[in-house]
Order: sequence, then C-alpha cells, then structure tokens
Amino acid sequence: MDDIAGLQGQLESAGYVAEASLAATLLLTLDLGRPLLVEGDAGVGKTEIANAFAKVNNARLIRLQCYEGLDVHAAMYEWNYQRQLLAIKLLEQDDRPLADKEKDIFSEAYLLKRPLLEAISCEESPVLLIDEVDRADEAFEAYLLELLSDFQISIPELGTVDAITRPLVIITSNGTRELSDALRRRCLYQFIEYPDFEKELTIVKIKAPQAAEQLARQVVAFVQQVRRMELQKIPGVAETLDWTAALLRSGITVINEEGAERIIDTLSALIKTRDDRSGFTPEVVSRIAATC
Amino acid sequence: MLTEAALQQSNVGTQLLTRIAGFTGFLHANGYGVGAADSVDIVGAAAETGVLDQAILRWNLKSLLCNRYEEWQRFDALFDTYFLPPNIKVFVQNDVKIGKPEEPTMGDDAQSNDSPTTPENTKTDETRAARYSASREENLSSTDFSELDQADQARKVEALMRRLAKRLKHLKLRRELRSQRGRRLDLQGTIRQSVSTGGTPLKFAWKTRRRVRPRLVLLLDVSRSMNSYSFFYLRLARALCNELADVHCFIFHTRIQSVGEALRDPDPWRAQERLNVLAQGWAGGTRIGECLQDFNREQGARLIHSRTGVIIVSDGYDTGETALLKKELGTLKKRSRRMIWFNPLLNQPDFTPEAKGMQTAMPYLDLLAPGADLAAIERVLPQLIESLQ
Repeated sequence: MDDIAGLQGQLESAGYVAEASLAATLLLTLDLGRPLLVEGDAGVGKTEIANAFAKVNNARLIRLQCYEGLDVHAAMYEWNYQRQLLAIKLLEQDDRPLADKEKDIFSEAYLLKRPLLEAISCEESPVLLIDEVDRADEAFEAYLLELLSDFQISIPELGTVDAITRPLVIITSNGTRELSDALRRRCLYQFIEYPDFEKELTIVKIKAPQAAEQLARQVVAFVQQVRRMELQKIPGVAETLDWTAALLRSGITVINEEGAERIIDTLSALIKTRDDRSGFTPEVVSRIAATC
Repeated sequence: MLTEAALQQSNVGTQLLTRIAGFTGFLHANGYGVGAADSVDIVGAAAETGVLDQAILRWNLKSLLCNRYEEWQRFDALFDTYFLPPNIKVFVQNDVKIGKPEEPTMGDDAQSNDSPTTPENTKTDETRAARYSASREENLSSTDFSELDQADQARKVEALMRRLAKRLKHLKLRRELRSQRGRRLDLQGTIRQSVSTGGTPLKFAWKTRRRVRPRLVLLLDVSRSMNSYSFFYLRLARALCNELADVHCFIFHTRIQSVGEALRDPDPWRAQERLNVLAQGWAGGTRIGECLQDFNREQGARLIHSRTGVIIVSDGYDTGETALLKKELGTLKKRSRRMIWFNPLLNQPDFTPEAKGMQTAMPYLDLLAPGADLAAIERVLPQLIESLQ
C-alpha cells in the first residue's frame, strides 16, 4: 500500500492525478513487464498517463500516433532509399566484391528507425506510448502483437533485431474499432472514467493554480453538470482546463446567474459542436450557474 | 505479506492459491474471455504483491482479467461474490429480459457445482465445459437468432455485430494501386523502371490508395412470420449503418418504409421507439412485390447504382401477386450489382424453398443464403462488399 501511495505522489508531482487503482496497475505493469491497455472516453487523460509515467521513471517517452493506413514503414523501420540510391552510384567506382557492396548498402547506417524499432533499441528502457491504436487497421495490430510478445523485430535484409531493454508499453484506445482479443489478452487493462468532482478539482488546482479556490470549485461543478446533459461531445478534462483559462482571460472570477451572458462568450472553450452550442441559451447557462 | 515461497510451503498457502486460481473459472462461467493461462498469471501476480490486502488484490486482478469495458464494470460485483464469504452462492442476475421468461445465466462458484440441475442448466454446463478456452465468440455467433432470448445474450450478439460491421469498414481501405499519378512514390516500381535507363531513375512510379465506395441497400421483412428474426436484423442494420458510410435500410411488409434516420439515432432506446412508431398500425400479410414496386419507383433510381449490393431479408411468404414480384425483382436485379437474399429458415434441415415468393425470386438472385445466425451472415457479407469494388 505504501508504494502505491508513493507512486500516486510521484505522479501527482509530475502533474497527473491518479486513483490508487491506476497506481496499483502501473506498479503491476512494472513488475510483470506487460503492456497496459488504457481505454476511456476522449479527453479523460489517457495519453497524459504515459507522459507522467515517463517523468516518474525518468525515462524517454517514445510516441507512436496511430492513424488509418499506418504501415510497417511508418511504425517500425524504413530503408533510406535516397541515400541508398546515392550510395549505389558512388559505389560504382568501387572495386570491392559485389556482396560486400550490398552488405554496405543494407547496413544500419541506411536504416531509418521509426518509433517501434527505436523503442526496443534504446539503452535505457523508455516508455512507449502507442496512441489510439484503434485507428490503425487490423494488419498493423498483428505486427504489434508480434512485437509485444517477443520484443524483437525481423528486418529481412538485416536479420532480427532483439530488444536491448524492454520498453514500458502503454496503449490507448478510443473504441472507434473493436480491438482483437489477442491484443487485449496480452495487456493489462484499465478503464478511465470521467473524473468525479474531487478529482477534477485537484486537477484544476494543479494545472491552473492561478484560479482562485472558489472559482475552481464552481468551474468543476459547472462542468460536472454539463457532462450530465445530453451532448454530442462531452467535455473532457482538457476542456475544463481550457475553459478555466478562458474565464480567467476574460476576467470572470465568479460564476453566477448575472454573468450568464459573459459566460456564454467563453463557452467555445468547453462546447465543441454547433448542435451542443445551440442548447446553451442564457436561461440554461444561468440555471446551471445558479446551482454552482 | 506472504511471499511465494512461504505460500508454497504451508498448506494454507496452497489453499489460498487454489482459491485465487479458481477465480478465473468463476469469471469464465460468467462470460469473461479468460483461460487457464490467466490463472498462472494471477497466481504469479498475487505471489508478487501479496494477497492480504483486499484492495490491491482487487485492482491487480481487475487489470489482469478484464479485457473490455463491460467486463470492467461487472468485475467488482463478481469479485465480492467470489471472495467475500457469505455471498458465495449469490447469482448475478440479468437486468432486462426480452420476450421469454428469464433464467439465470450466470453460473455459480466453479469449484462447488451443486446447484439444482434443470435441463437448461445442464445444457449450459456442457457447452461451457466444451469450450473452456479463452474464446466466447464461436458459440454466440452460431446461435440461431430466434433462440437468443436473454437480454445479456442479445447485448453480446450486438457487440459481435458491431465488430463485424467494423471489420467490414476496413475491408475497402487495404489495397494500394500502382498508378500514373499518386500521392506516394512507389520506390520498388521506380527502381524497377530505372533498369532500362542504367540505374538512373528518370521515371517515377506512384502509388495511390484504392478508394471504393460500395453501397448497401437492406430491405428487411418485418412481417409476423419474421417476428423472432427482425429484431436482430434491425440491430445488425443499426450496426452497419453506424459503421459504414453508405448503407440504406428499409423495412417492409405491406408497405415499405425507410428507417435509416431512426437507426442512426445515437440513443439506442430512442431508436427503438422510433422504429416501433414506424412499424405501428400496419395490416397483416406480406406483399413483397408491391413493396418492391414502391421502392423501385421512389428510391430505386436514386439509390441503386452499379456498385450497389441489395440485401433482402425475408422468409419469402408472400401474399401479393407473383407476376408483380417477378417484374420488380427483375428491375432491381438489372439496376444493382449484386442481389442476395437471406432466408432465416434456410438453416432448418427440412427446408425447401416452397414459399411462393421464394420460388419466384430464385432466378433473380445472385445468392440465396441462410441467415439465421451471425456466422452465416459473416460468411457472406465480406465477400459481397469485396465483390462490389
């Protein structure tokens, strides 16, 4: 229990407020060396976990942002074709045997390391963040599985590259696509909910210390109410912080019914679609503000 | 805290480990995708972090054994049920039921199987024993839709449908084509072309992404004879609508009606209500021909193009005119690229396409497929979409 509390403290000083259960899971990740799969709605701070975890472990953060159509060349390695072509031209005058030349051209000097290869060839074990893995397609997931089970990458022209150190892997997913069972089974799992009042208040206090205690409380209460409304895009923690900054910028120090008009002007930091925005009439805002 | 060595030495330790290892069995009985290998993991983790602190054990097991959000949500209740002494025999009940009376699906403690053995119980026990592995899909996806009556199962099948739809979505993006112009340089191609100019790449080869937009049109029969299936087909349609860009869904029995809007409603309950409203007040009987005529007249020209797959789901019991059905199917066939017909009854061993509508339709169909379970649909849909490219 002590080391859990310790890790929580460290994470907090790195700017991340973690529940005890998350801290316990992170410790388990360290112990077992398994990847951690983090799911949750957009904006609950999934990516931030990796940032804070890297800071706590004094490790480098290597980030692989997944996207539709991400392939091996962008994720693992690619040959530097331009340099290779140049080298071929230069080697034409060389009298060495052909095999040697070829070996030269396919050596590590011409290899462009992409995040995954980089992560397993670091001297000290880094934190590897594979962000939004659900955006990449299933073929890529299969490559990823191979990497996560053996921690080695095979490059046909060069041979197998084994991991020097094992990276701490954190995978995030937004659920735009169902992940394969095989990937899920290899990982520890953590689901992050929207923070409750207390937790969000702590976050606001840490990240926006310039906001007064009362304003911070009101902001968080307001956002918590907004989350319960039927919205297309529910504001995340980042939106709360943006909105706090927006309020401070426009000199609002207290949220109350009278200030509804001015509050509406700042709502663009919190409400992100037109349909949602049209629901926030002065009456609605002042009603929410009255309860804060 | 107990260490592994200490645990193995003492008898109490062995019992503790057995108890913890048995937890995977309990979770598996409750529909989690965990296997024997997980027992090894959790015993290892328990030995590593100690078992005396309930909270730590709970968090560790939770992150090790849960694989998705639904499991994550149910975990705490199951953990309490298993580990907290007075509640061992508590059944975790389903919340809502659909149609038939409810039976508890959740198994009891995996180690003490002494619950009263009703026929239903033995059946699930057998299937459970037969697939004590980390897969939960096989079974449900090949269960006839009309036999799925528990809300729990229905939800799971829905999840499977969503996964199917998501897989379908990715079918079309995989290929790259070599082309004259493109957004990516095709280096292999360039080097190959450079052979003719002595290794100097004068001409570039390019790659471009193959973009295809196949369109699906679903025509679902919701007449009384299709009662037990239409619910699931609407779910499937909903999953497809949400995942694929170009899906158009219609329901028919005596009239035809577009339900795309209702299906796209983000709130599942509201979607269901809207569907109920749409389907209300229709007289009995199925007039496939007339419905298709309406469809061809009002929607056909707009919706159906040369990359359209038409999917008709019906049991083929038609009370309308055969000649009309023939004519309209012919029109539809000419316009569309592929026309397939799912018939839920086709799976039954003594089935022959006797229904009048079915017999009329046969010559016009590219494929008549059984459609009573998800596996059958899954066998057909990917090929259908690929054939539309």
